[in-house]
Amino acid sequence: MARIRATFWIYVTACVVLVHLVLLPALFFGMGYVIRESHEDLFIEHARTFSRVLADEFEVGGALDSQSRIEDLLDFAITHGGARYAELNERDRSIRSLYGSSEIKTARSTDLSFGQGGDGIYFVVRPIVHGSHRAELRLGFDEQPTQERIQLALTRMLWLLAGYLVAALAIAIILSYRLSRPIQRLQAVSRAIALGDYTRALNVNTGIRELHDAAVDLEAMRHELVGVNDRLQAKIKEKEISDARREELQKQLQHRQRLETVGTLASGIAHEINNVLVPIILYTDTALQDLPPSGAPRANLERVLAAARRAKDIVKKILTFSRELGEAKLALIDLREVVAEALHLFSALAPPTIEIRTEIEESLPLVQADATLAAHVLMNLCTNAYQAMEGAKGTLTIGLRYQDNARVGSRSQPRVEFWVRDTGRGMDAATVERIFEPFFTTRSVGHGSGLGLSVVHGIVESFGASITVESKIGVGTTFRIFFLAVARLEVIGDLAEPVV
Amino acid sequence: MQNILVVDDEPDVRDSVKYVLDRAGYSVRTAESAMDALAELARSPTDLVITDIIMPQINGVEAIESIRKAFPAVRIIAISGGGNFGVADYQPSAITTTAYLASAEKAGAHLVLTKPFETVELIRSVEQVLGVGHA
Repeated sequence: MARIRATFWIYVTACVVLVHLVLLPALFFGMGYVIRESHEDLFIEHARTFSRVLADEFEVGGALDSQSRIEDLLDFAITHGGARYAELNERDRSIRSLYGSSEIKTARSTDLSFGQGGDGIYFVVRPIVHGSHRAELRLGFDEQPTQERIQLALTRMLWLLAGYLVAALAIAIILSYRLSRPIQRLQAVSRAIALGDYTRALNVNTGIRELHDAAVDLEAMRHELVGVNDRLQAKIKEKEISDARREELQKQLQHRQRLETVGTLASGIAHEINNVLVPIILYTDTALQDLPPSGAPRANLERVLAAARRAKDIVKKILTFSRELGEAKLALIDLREVVAEALHLFSALAPPTIEIRTEIEESLPLVQADATLAAHVLMNLCTNAYQAMEGAKGTLTIGLRYQDNARVGSRSQPRVEFWVRDTGRGMDAATVERIFEPFFTTRSVGHGSGLGLSVVHGIVESFGASITVESKIGVGTTFRIFFLAVARLEVIGDLAEPVV
Repeated sequence: MQNILVVDDEPDVRDSVKYVLDRAGYSVRTAESAMDALAELARSPTDLVITDIIMPQINGVEAIESIRKAFPAVRIIAISGGGNFGVADYQPSAITTTAYLASAEKAGAHLVLTKPFETVELIRSVEQVLGVGHA
């Protein structure tokens, strides 16, 4: 069976109404009875007392002997005793006050109760004995004023009770509303918790112990949930980060493996081409020696020789990329000097539309590198940056900073980070992915062979350093190189000792 | 006339070097491997060996060591174009042209030359090693 469920305040109000529907009529009738009784008793008491006093007056004063005295006393009963009818009967005579009502029937004995006879008159009959006189005093009192007073009292009581009912209802509504507020708060918070929002604190201030205890318990539960939830969130986040890091490492590894494969292939090809270039150069050179100083064959062969020398240069670059050149003479160098030198050269080359900024830390440890090659790398990156901003205004930022625990790949080591940031065109993810591969170029044909960044990569690797690139289309590109650094403390120690 | 032995597994390299040095007035013979070279050295007197470093079977560095031991009077020039042979043998940090040439020098080569070289470079190197005017 379905139970009717109403809001707390409606429930309480309904209860109050129900209680009063039962109690108020009972109260009304009970008190009505008491009022009626007391008024009637008062009326009857007065009628009886007055009639006895009057009868005594007849007996004591000898008034029965005088007709006028009898009439005076009977009139007194009407005018001052509240009676509407007064009569004295003796065997042969019947005297009646002329002030009284003539319509009242007289053939009645004493009324035993108020309202008896249905005529609105209360009768009291008293015997009077004085000497030989045997008379009977008959008085009729009007019940109407008492009846009206009772009515008035009842009406007043009805109003009073109605007022009481209204006040009770108002108090019930206010009270139940105030009681239901903490319950509603509890309800809102438990609903929020059920919906997964644990952050709303439960501040219920109530004088009702059960509600207060429930609120305290719920708050404790919420607090516990928040803790559990926070721990779960932290765990999830931790896992996400480690997943991302693993993915990143995997990507770097794959990238590196691909570069190494390409490098291996390239160096194999370079070796073959070098062998092929030997006869080309030697035969062409000797053939030139046999030719006259001018003429088409000589010019043609000179072009062959020039082409062969260009091929030789290209192969040399490929070998640099695949670390075949191996010319790096690693030593401990001060990168600030290298940067200063590169900046000096570069600022002469850069167009005036480009603003060059530096963010270089004051104190930096020495790093492991080859100063000449490092300068070559820096120049190469700067040139790339300015080409990315060509034809537009832009800012080129060069920075150096120390990181005593830089995470590069899977190892954390002291590093000096060098970065070049441009505000140029930027590159998409596919380009960034392949940017260090040899022969990969975004420049139009004739602007370069595409060996630039692969050479940079080869050199950086030969320093035991690593290079990363971040780029966003329309925002710009940042290249970062993490050089192996001597930890700052060691700098104070032995400066001169080379690392390799 | 001074005798030169050119050792290289690549016929074009062998022949072109021989051609240049022939023209420069040297008596030049060729060998296509280190084994052949040692046999050739034993057969007739030789003043100078120009040898490649990366060759099948016996490599140039070992060949130089053997020649220095067996024929201490013979002068040696090592030539190399670098590179790796097969991805499996690839050792990124160790194998470089300079590394090859450095080990050749250590093994006893009097001069090292990077492929490809110019005619003038070749002749000058040969003259330098043989000591022009001393011959």
